[in-house]
Amino acid sequence: MKKLALLTIFAALMMISSAAFAQTTANGTLTVTATVTGSIQLVFNSDASGVALASGAGTNTATLAFGNVSAFGAVAAGVVRTTTATTFTVSSAVDVLVAKTNSASANYTLKAQLGAADAVNTWSVGGVAVTNAAQSTLTATGTYAANSNFPVAITVPFTAASGTAISNTINYTATAN
Amino acid sequence: MLNKRKSIRNLTLAALLLTGAAAPAQTTGSGVINATLFNKNGISLQFDTDASGVTLGAAGTSAASANLGTISAFGPLSGGVTRPTVTAASFTVRTIFDVQVVQGGLASANYTLTANLAAVAPTGFTYKVDAVTLSTAAQTIQTNGTYNTDVAHNLDLVVSTAVPGAGGPAVGTPITATINFTATAN
Repeated sequence: MKKLALLTIFAALMMISSAAFAQTTANGTLTVTATVTGSIQLVFNSDASGVALASGAGTNTATLAFGNVSAFGAVAAGVVRTTTATTFTVSSAVDVLVAKTNSASANYTLKAQLGAADAVNTWSVGGVAVTNAAQSTLTATGTYAANSNFPVAITVPFTAASGTAISNTINYTATAN
Repeated sequence: MLNKRKSIRNLTLAALLLTGAAAPAQTTGSGVINATLFNKNGISLQFDTDASGVTLGAAGTSAASANLGTISAFGPLSGGVTRPTVTAASFTVRTIFDVQVVQGGLASANYTLTANLAAVAPTGFTYKVDAVTLSTAAQTIQTNGTYNTDVAHNLDLVVSTAVPGAGGPAVGTPITATINFTATAN
């Protein structure tokens, strides 16, 4: 009889223990999907020999402020000036850095275009005239992941009135080749 | 010996009673069933869409999916996907998902959550949950998960910026990985 009781108790304990510990874990699966595409990025950096960018260095929206410029007076550090009989040109080195990811592209094409027409002054980037009429190609073989200097220059006629503010936006486009 | 006889007598009586109940002569019968129910305690796990993350496929189940869409180091991302970091070597995209573990019949105060990749990560990819890098071996994500509520977790995909064939991921094709989660009652 004692054996029977012990067996009964043991069986009960077994049932209790299996009920208590049978399902204390739960499982789930999360399937994650993503599609990688190659991409490139363009940022402006201050060039050591040019005017420090007033804002936005390291981004794709920067500001270059020449300060007061004149044909014969003092110009700010980093500004290079040349003159002719009728105009003067001020320029500053500006670095463009294009980075690529997940792409086998060997190089890039860089184009620029003025945001608005300027009927008075002449603009150039990297020695290439830029207008708002169409994009101008600055290079067709840009090197990735390296600062490339594309000086921004403005040619101002002597006829421009003193105190005239000159401002425009230059839109750059880098395209992976 | 006397007790044994009593037991035999009682069993015999019980058997006779049962037989009698089944006998056709009886027009009424009665019986007692002692039913014992074991409350089957346990826990369950389900994935839920987080308001800040991508919308999960099969949300509310234990087998959900998260599609981060097209990802890149600099290009646009789908809603619910962010890009916390970009370095020269890699970029990270992130979404947030919720895990809800429900328990019943347990005295457990909280749970431990582990995760592992079902297979080796695709080339150029590293998967992280809450900054814990996943592998095919179970990694502990959380040791004090709260039951019966959505617990948000960051899912990070760290993607190499290298080109395919040089350690980078395949480009232009969907890449899928399965993450197994296990919640264990503490």
